[in-house]
Amino acid sequence: MTLLAPWMLAGLVGLALPVLAHLLGRERPRQIPLSSRRFVAAGDEVVTHRRRLRDLLLLALRVGLLALIVLALARPISERPGALTVLATPHDAIILVDGSRSMELRVDGETLLAHAREVVDDLTRSLPAGSRVGLVISDPGGPRIELSADPDRVRRALARWLDEPGPRPRGGAWTLESGLAAAAALLQATPGGIERAIYAVGDRTDRGLGSLPPRLDDEIVIVPVPVLGAVGLEDVPRAGQERRARDPRPEHVGLDGAAWEPARELDPRAVRIRGSARRYLSEEASKTITDTRRVTVALRVDDQKVARAEVELTGARPASFEFTHTLTGADGPRRASLELEPGPTPDPMPGDDVISLWLSASDRTQVTVVNGDPSEMRAHDEVFFLATALAATESARALDVRGLAPEQFEERLRREGASALAGVDVLILANVRAPAEDIAHHVAAAVERGMGLWITAGDRVEARPYNDRLGALLPLLLREAVVVGTAPGRTEARTEGLAPVDLTHPALRGLTGDLGLTGTRARRLYLLEPDPTRAAEVAVSFTNGAPALLTRAFGRGRVALLTTSIDRDWSDLPIRPGFLPLAERTITYLAGERGGASARHVLVGEPWVLPSEAPMTIHTPEGVARPVAPDERGLITFADTMTPGHYRAEREPGATPSERADPVCSVNVDPDESVTTPTWEEPPSRGDEVVAATAHAARWRPLVLLALLLLALEAALRWRRAAPRRRAGSWWRPRPPAT
Amino acid sequence: MTGLGDVIPPPLLALLRGRALTLARPAWGRRQGRHFSAREGHGQEFRGHRGYVPGDELRRLDWRAVARHDRLVLREAHSEDELDIALLIDGSAAMDYGEGWAHKRRHANALAAALASVALRQGDRVGLAIARGPTPDPSMLRPRGGQAQLARIVARVLEDRYEETCPWPLHLAPLATALPRRGLVILLGDLLDPCAGLPGAAPDADPQVADAPLLHALATLRARGHALVIVQLLHRDELEFPWDGRELLRIEDPRRLRADVEGPGVSLRAGYLARLRAHLTWFERGCEREGVHLVRLVSDAPVTAGFLAILDQLAGKPRRLETEAAP
Repeated sequence: MTLLAPWMLAGLVGLALPVLAHLLGRERPRQIPLSSRRFVAAGDEVVTHRRRLRDLLLLALRVGLLALIVLALARPISERPGALTVLATPHDAIILVDGSRSMELRVDGETLLAHAREVVDDLTRSLPAGSRVGLVISDPGGPRIELSADPDRVRRALARWLDEPGPRPRGGAWTLESGLAAAAALLQATPGGIERAIYAVGDRTDRGLGSLPPRLDDEIVIVPVPVLGAVGLEDVPRAGQERRARDPRPEHVGLDGAAWEPARELDPRAVRIRGSARRYLSEEASKTITDTRRVTVALRVDDQKVARAEVELTGARPASFEFTHTLTGADGPRRASLELEPGPTPDPMPGDDVISLWLSASDRTQVTVVNGDPSEMRAHDEVFFLATALAATESARALDVRGLAPEQFEERLRREGASALAGVDVLILANVRAPAEDIAHHVAAAVERGMGLWITAGDRVEARPYNDRLGALLPLLLREAVVVGTAPGRTEARTEGLAPVDLTHPALRGLTGDLGLTGTRARRLYLLEPDPTRAAEVAVSFTNGAPALLTRAFGRGRVALLTTSIDRDWSDLPIRPGFLPLAERTITYLAGERGGASARHVLVGEPWVLPSEAPMTIHTPEGVARPVAPDERGLITFADTMTPGHYRAEREPGATPSERADPVCSVNVDPDESVTTPTWEEPPSRGDEVVAATAHAARWRPLVLLALLLLALEAALRWRRAAPRRRAGSWWRPRPPAT
Repeated sequence: MTGLGDVIPPPLLALLRGRALTLARPAWGRRQGRHFSAREGHGQEFRGHRGYVPGDELRRLDWRAVARHDRLVLREAHSEDELDIALLIDGSAAMDYGEGWAHKRRHANALAAALASVALRQGDRVGLAIARGPTPDPSMLRPRGGQAQLARIVARVLEDRYEETCPWPLHLAPLATALPRRGLVILLGDLLDPCAGLPGAAPDADPQVADAPLLHALATLRARGHALVIVQLLHRDELEFPWDGRELLRIEDPRRLRADVEGPGVSLRAGYLARLRAHLTWFERGCEREGVHLVRLVSDAPVTAGFLAILDQLAGKPRRLETEAAP
């Protein structure tokens, strides 16, 4: 046990001063043996002076209290030899601290980030003399301290940041690797011929130490420093020796996902909320623990708890749960949250116990279909199959499908300009020749602001007008429509089938199997001009490799192109079972950012981008109103989403009223940060480069706790001593005058 | 060998010559003395005439009245009896206060010796007890006459021994046997805490409750026909509490019954004086109610003045009590 500030012990001398001053400097009272002593009363108007050390126990408590405070100020530490590895020679070091949410896990009553503070203290004291040290936090909002010979700057900066108001760590999801660039930049900004190292302090998860490369640019050494169970040379296992179990992680429970959809089969205003919860266990425990743990999940709507469900969590497997709830009251998005109710023992990582949602019973997507080949007979109409398929989707959000003839569509655009598309989420140009030249730019601008556009091929589609007028936004330029059998090299085939769909495409993510599309036969299709610069994503392609359905992002909007017809003129796609999910998912994907309340969901730290022509005010979960203005593209980017919860954008007073409700957004933590399973096991293997430095364990905190205990004892004792005086009902009190 | 001069200051010693102790109330002595008695006897005081009846002493015929009334008339006179006096001196540590003749016990000793000297010289019988501690000492309480008794009294009062308390009711009880006839009981003490040390007495009890046993004991003595005189001898410090500055005081109880009190005099004085005054007034009224003569003396006053005040009180002359403390 040593002291970091031994000179503070000089304060112990001060303990004797009050006692000495009391003993030496006290006034000697004049002693008077008075026969009428019974008429002298103490305790009423008499100011009684203490002349002797009467309350010795009280004095002992107070002196002990002061002594403990002095001892704590001297900062006693105990040494843990070999607990840290540092480079043996003087060097420039940047300490990179993991500031992501996974450091919120509480171990031994303190968060990993608080433990990291001690590790940083140890590190700065363990560096060889002559080293310079700086600091980087993987949280972009954290402090950046340049290299300095004064390690106290690092300690102070970290302490200041940790003590700032607000949760630490913040809820963001940053890998430890993401801070390497900033750390390297700080190292390279300061010239010096000595060795450079980055001490990465983090947990042993994939996103912590597991994300680090072994070396940076062959010049900068990366020394991983686990927050718990620091690495020492003696920890390197010998051949055939099992690594001893370290870094005990407490189990915690979290919600790792939630989604909702309308449940109109139950009630026009019913919604179905699905979510899943899971236990996060250590690697060893996840293999062995198979018991069942019960947790309670509550659904809260408009700050009122409306439902609870008990969820059984077996082992480390996620368990899903479902609520159905009928929204009452006014229309519009309603704030809701799924919450894990606290159990008998507090959850060591409470940050993932809540998921915020916006629910809406009137969350409808506006779909406008421009029918390029209308027919009196419904079965021959271009969009008959599409409309029928969309009407059959129960699980998708409600769609308001409006059909327009090309002439009507163009007329409306000419008459109303861009505002004609303001309320449209998805525009489908089904077998339309091409938008007229004078209105095509309105379509392109609407797509750039977030509208979805789906172009389906057909006999009427003409490649050149499309390429000329909407070429900027097309996934690929159109070449020509061909009959399959006449395709070069494929003279025998009369039809073309569809290859298995690409389920990694964002529009189809989550679906399984072949969707029932493999039997599709297409007789005609549109050939496209290959252009790798357009970054088109092919969702479905023909067996000959030609794209069948491909998408491309344009501005904030998305464009999809179906190279065959959406009716039965060119293929039998509409009558295939997979057409229904394909159409539904494509429209949902195209609706994207404008598809209703449920579509606004971002992770903590991600920007919320919303299209708007006018300034808005965004209300954050902390109750703060932030005015924001759109940029020249008509987009508002709100980046301050570090607090999970419900965000709502309010239109400025006097703005053009809209049919749609105020945009809302729910911000939730990244469930990846909840994974606390230690996976990093790489021991340091730098041989003579590193030495085992002496690390210290702070021992002054128990002293402070003991001092607080003594303070409470002293107060209780003083109160007890004063009790008889308070109770004394003395007969000396003045009597009322005799009448 | 101790003498009266060791106890009594010279001015008082000079004052004793020719002084007589007379009692306003009739005495009831066993033998003839100098005190007016309620019964008929052979004293100097004319009582009245009555007709002669056979058997009367012929020398008691008042010949002038016989000549005037032309029948045999006897002259009757009051009896003059001796007086039994019991002196009780407070021997508690509370009396050990003061300097010179202002020392309370020394002052009380002088008064007691002077009273005993006058009484014995005029033929009365005197007994003495030093009241100290919880156990009464009645060895000298039974009144006796003669100069030898005066010597014993002087020797006893000169014993410089104190005990902590003086519970007066316990020390008044032996008077029932020591004074079988009407007599005079004189208590000399400060009477500021007269029942301190009584079994069961609480030191912090209300003084009027705590001191009630004394008034009860005095009433019992009065019921036996005794004349009671209380000489309340106070020091001026006790009456006036002269420490009114910021000086720190520790007030100690000489009886060791109460804890010490510390504080500056200025903050103690007003409450003390108010409580003391209230208690003295209450005690004065209690004595008045029980027919007890109360003589309140201040110990720094000349002993002669106090002695004369006691004689005046015994003789029935009115006198103002020293109750007012200086502001």
